[in-house]
Amino acid sequence: MTTALITHPDALTHVTPPGHPERVARIEAVNEALTAPEFTFLIREAAPLADASQALNGHPQGYIDKLRAAVPVSGEVALDPDTWLSPGSWQAALRGLGGCLRAVDMVLGGEARNAFVAMRPPGHHAEARRAMGFCLLSNAAIAAKYALDHHGLARVAVMDFDVHHGNGTQDILWDEPRALFVSTHQMPLYPGTGAPDERGAHDNILNVPLPPHSDGARFRAEVERQVLPRLDGFAPDLLIVSAGFDAHRADPLAQLDLGAEDFAWVTERLCDIADAHCGGRVVSTLEGGYDLDALAASVAAHVKVLMERGA
Amino acid sequence: MTDKPVSEMSFEEAMAALEAAVTALERGDVPLEESITLSEQAATLKRHCEKKLKEAEEKVAQITLDGNGNPTGTTPVEGM
Repeated sequence: MTTALITHPDALTHVTPPGHPERVARIEAVNEALTAPEFTFLIREAAPLADASQALNGHPQGYIDKLRAAVPVSGEVALDPDTWLSPGSWQAALRGLGGCLRAVDMVLGGEARNAFVAMRPPGHHAEARRAMGFCLLSNAAIAAKYALDHHGLARVAVMDFDVHHGNGTQDILWDEPRALFVSTHQMPLYPGTGAPDERGAHDNILNVPLPPHSDGARFRAEVERQVLPRLDGFAPDLLIVSAGFDAHRADPLAQLDLGAEDFAWVTERLCDIADAHCGGRVVSTLEGGYDLDALAASVAAHVKVLMERGA
Repeated sequence: MTDKPVSEMSFEEAMAALEAAVTALERGDVPLEESITLSEQAATLKRHCEKKLKEAEEKVAQITLDGNGNPTGTTPVEGM
């Protein structure tokens, strides 16, 4: 077994206006980084289209219908100042969700030890009834529900190290006692949620806010003090990672001072948890990361660790 | 926030602007793209407030007295 890389050219058909940070070039940078010789042995898999009904694991039918109806025939439309739709957005969103669900199937079915889904738009800000923060469908939360309901797992953990709080994932998993959601993020910063007292309906959410300019040492200390013991105690049957790389010091949208080596480190620690409790089963999905060079280097560092640990 | 440069704000003005910036960020009605700008403004305001506090602290001085109990001058308070 090894590591699966799941992507699809439809990730490039979700187009945002010129100057928007969540842009097509992000996926091009990720794809380019993953063509290096060290990534030869990834199992490369095309992200299938999810059926729209599979999004019902996270969103009500009314939301899905409205989102679909808002997709323009030409040009781009704004759902809010951040969140845009182009003609290809619905297809891209369904591929992103389909990629995450396929990753869960592959990892739980023994086709791969772990998987990375390189798709956009990202998902972790999309709440059950609201698209926001560049996000349309809440891929990580839906994947967690799918693993619980479709595959019958008892416990699924979602760890989100994107620099912004994963409010959408939190919203959807708030009342799900079989899921643990853990998020590290800068505070104050968009979207404003993610305070430590937001704990979920079943004490199933752990928020670890970090002040601006926290560096790798601070991040690692908080992960070791709070995140890892909590994940270890939960003993997940599957670990899903919302892998945003915008806590990188070069990122234009936030002020944390992490580097690619810190993303490699946290990936190692998360693989330790997965090794201890669930045979190393990790599904990671791309969230943010808006400096193209930092994104490419960070994704490469993350996937390299997944490959080493998945071998 | 007012258009007044942060460097010219009084402590009270800067604190009020800082509180407004942090409240807006915590309320979550700032778009993701603008969040960083507001966050940077908040950091500038925080530095300005800290500078103003330091200046005020330096002015708090111990009054020195002569043998008859009359004030003769000031010396800075230790540890401020």
